[in-house]
Amino acid sequence: MTTTLSAPSQPTRIPRPWDARTQRPAGNRVVKGIIKHAVLLCVLLIMLYPLLWMVGASFRPGNQTFAGLSLFSDTYTLQNYADGWSVGNLNFSKYFVNSAIITIGQIVGNLFACSLTAYAFARLEFPFKRVLFGMVIATMLLPQHVTLIPKYIIFNQMGWVDTYLPLTVPHFFAVDAFFIFLMVQFIRTLPTSLDESARIDGCGHWGIFWRIIMPMSLPAIGTTAMFTFVWAWNDLLGPLLYLPSSDLWTVSLGLNSFLDQTGQSTYGTLFAMATLSLAPIVGFFIASQRLLVEGIATTGLK
Amino acid sequence: MTKPRSRRLLAGAALVLGVALTSTACLNQGPAASSDGQGEVGGTIQVAWWGGESRNAKTNAVIEQFNEDFPEVTTETQSADYAQYFNRLNVQASSRSLPCVVQMQDRQVNDYVKRQTLQPLDDMVASGAIDTSKIPPAVLDGGRGSDGKLYFIPYGIAWDALMVNTTLAEEAGVGAPPESWDWDQFVSYVSQAKDRLPDGTYAVAAGGEEQNAFYAWAVGQGIEVFNAEGQLGFTKEQLKEYWSLWLDLQEQGIALPPDMSAEEPPGADQGYLATGQLMVGVLPGNSLYVSQQTLDGRDGGQLQAARYPDGPAGIGNILVASGFGISSNCDNVPTSAAFIDFFTNDVDAQVAFAADNGAPTNTDVLDALTAEDSELPDLKRDELEQYRAISEDNPPKVNYPPGFNAVFQQAFTRNYNEVAFGRLTLDQAVDSFFNETNASLG
Repeated sequence: MTTTLSAPSQPTRIPRPWDARTQRPAGNRVVKGIIKHAVLLCVLLIMLYPLLWMVGASFRPGNQTFAGLSLFSDTYTLQNYADGWSVGNLNFSKYFVNSAIITIGQIVGNLFACSLTAYAFARLEFPFKRVLFGMVIATMLLPQHVTLIPKYIIFNQMGWVDTYLPLTVPHFFAVDAFFIFLMVQFIRTLPTSLDESARIDGCGHWGIFWRIIMPMSLPAIGTTAMFTFVWAWNDLLGPLLYLPSSDLWTVSLGLNSFLDQTGQSTYGTLFAMATLSLAPIVGFFIASQRLLVEGIATTGLK
Repeated sequence: MTKPRSRRLLAGAALVLGVALTSTACLNQGPAASSDGQGEVGGTIQVAWWGGESRNAKTNAVIEQFNEDFPEVTTETQSADYAQYFNRLNVQASSRSLPCVVQMQDRQVNDYVKRQTLQPLDDMVASGAIDTSKIPPAVLDGGRGSDGKLYFIPYGIAWDALMVNTTLAEEAGVGAPPESWDWDQFVSYVSQAKDRLPDGTYAVAAGGEEQNAFYAWAVGQGIEVFNAEGQLGFTKEQLKEYWSLWLDLQEQGIALPPDMSAEEPPGADQGYLATGQLMVGVLPGNSLYVSQQTLDGRDGGQLQAARYPDGPAGIGNILVASGFGISSNCDNVPTSAAFIDFFTNDVDAQVAFAADNGAPTNTDVLDALTAEDSELPDLKRDELEQYRAISEDNPPKVNYPPGFNAVFQQAFTRNYNEVAFGRLTLDQAVDSFFNETNASLG
């Protein structure tokens, strides 16, 4: 294991006579480093600027929201945050809770169903496996709008509209082909000899899945959880269709209520609440990023 | 206020609309049921409307008053921003699960009439379940579908108007616009202003891409924008004439250049008129107050609404009607009719609603809101007085055919801008507009 890990590191070179000529002074390396970091910082600033501008605008009074491209202004106010938080018959704390329920439901569903499905496609042998896998992948090619209305009709006839069920339950049936594909590809890279030794030790499929495959698939699990979180948290169309009552609204629907193209939009409060709604995503990213690193460290065999 | 400004959102709406309405075709089942709306008022109804937070609060206040008058009724509500509202409505329509009471606009109504997802209300008006006696007949006609039946009762009217920043106009030496004018006077008004306006400020919006300015130009000449078959009623030559007028204004630097126009933030409160970069804007007449509020925050001047130029056939200002209709899948028609009657005619409720979605159609409400003791801000009252003047001039109605929303506005704006950006010749763009639009209309 140690040798595999250190393999990519630079092999020790025997000093050659001409090295002295080509070797550059240490100062040069520092300059290079500074230039490299300066370029990276500039790119980072360009990428972050719209976000920083939004945060800046959220602290400006309402009629100065679009005052210019500057991040700063003469007057600052917290009014947008106060107004935005208490919007509507409810307030944003309710919307955050609603969004959290749906998001957690989707993450649990995807992790449970997609990993099991992926295990089956990666490790089991059964008739029509390739055809079935092809069909799963083919669903990724189907645009969302094609199934939008049939899905709505089905859920409506089941009486599920105005509940969280249409947004969470389907995810327990492995409907996200993207994650299945991701996990299948990941599990295929794990050595089957581990499965075999587990089998010799008396594990069945469940044991192999739970004790061997799952702990080694942490990077794939982390990626799945992270993507599911971002998609579920930012989704507008799903909640818009299935959660018409305002007491079930999610954060994205709450943000939408600040906009009115036929009347007065309150962009200041919109930006304030959008800033707050980003916090869980950033937090989750930081948390799952650590998971990713840990996952890679514990699966050194890969 | 009722005119959508964001084209991107509309494009999304149109996409969902297309898919939604294609799939409704399989669900059509004979002619829509008709009812006289008489019966016991009670049970549950769902009410859906478009709007943001402030309109939601006002609408909820009206619904509370309705529930006080009819305590045996439970009202469930649904709301979303204009584009998202119609996205959801299309999906609900396709699965025959529309809310009982749905807000409609005359630009959209024929898409639903064609698929028979709305009930005709004529019998309910005849039976007295819904009272329309206080609504001027020309205004009530806004709620009719292309088959001539009444499908929603207009309660709020938007109208398109020119908004003039009179402070900028004074600086530019042209002064306030006259009471009424024709197109030649209008063009010379903005042309004269151009030289004395500060840099980065333009005399007039890019009217060539604005379908409403085109309606004003066409209707004023007596041109029928859509014919009885629901196809384009004007000729290619007429469109070329209109677009050339604006292309010239843009070339001379009088009208907003195409790149700036494409980048304009949506909404009357964020556009160039509200930020003081434009002297004459093309906006819904009821956005005067909203635009002025933003302008005040920047000390940007004073706005005044002006009529569109008249044509040889008379007034060009068309009205855009919004109101509530009843879905054909509704199982509680008497209560829905009672709600619509209340929302349209209850003076106290409508005074509390404060003309939030256009000028009130009920003349009693209009009188109450413009009376001396009205609590409305002066500018808002000016808006309503302008509406009164236009509505008394018997403005013509545009019959928007089915398919209008999915294609007309985007095709109009895009093809005009293809010429403005120099990617197509005028002839090519007009041909392409006619082909695209006629293929989807009707």
